[in-house]
Amino acid sequence: MRSVIGLFLVLTVLIIVPAAGYVYAAGDEPGEYLDRRVEIWNLFFRMMTVAFAIGAVVSGTIVWQVWRFRESNPNAKPTPYEEKGEW
Amino acid sequence: MGNHSNWPEWIYIGVVIALLVWVGAEAWNVERIVEHVPEDAEVIKVTGQQWFWTFEHEDGTKEIGELHVEVGKAYKFEIHSKDVNHSFNIHDYVVLLDAVPGRVNTVWFAPMEAGVHDIQCREYCGLLHYNMRGTLYVEDPKA
Repeated sequence: MRSVIGLFLVLTVLIIVPAAGYVYAAGDEPGEYLDRRVEIWNLFFRMMTVAFAIGAVVSGTIVWQVWRFRESNPNAKPTPYEEKGEW
Repeated sequence: MGNHSNWPEWIYIGVVIALLVWVGAEAWNVERIVEHVPEDAEVIKVTGQQWFWTFEHEDGTKEIGELHVEVGKAYKFEIHSKDVNHSFNIHDYVVLLDAVPGRVNTVWFAPMEAGVHDIQCREYCGLLHYNMRGTLYVEDPKA
């Protein structure tokens, strides 16, 4: 549960900080032009963070499922076919 | 089928859709602000042809193979091609846009530090594509 809260905290920071920046950003006044390198690379790093977070959640879920539902798991319950031969 | 509750699946789908919507919105917003050209940007006409770049400033000054700009000013590149597809790239400033015959593509940037940077072609355009290079000189403003 704590890791889920931590994950959502990270994602919230990734959303709120850029959103606040865009609200106050100008980007088109002499001396204050936006730096396209900074904007584009920042977007790239945010998207990479999201991609790896999603990848970790999805692959972690799959690993847990494979481990939990293996035949030798102490909590494993036989399927109806294994028990009674019925589909 | 048993009447099992499937709220975990719906939450999973909701979270995934929310994340995709957020990714799309972020990308759209960055593209919007990056493509907004400042009103006072100086227009530079960039022409790509096999196998060199030429530049024409607003005041008529022409340069071949090299481009001189000033620190702290915004510049808008209008990119043309005279023959085949090229791609105008200033790697250090993340300026990358195709030069397509019959079409004008527009990109802008504002250098904030003096320096020398490479210009290169990033779309295969023939035998000397690898050598279709130029130099960008960012200079302090003339007094």
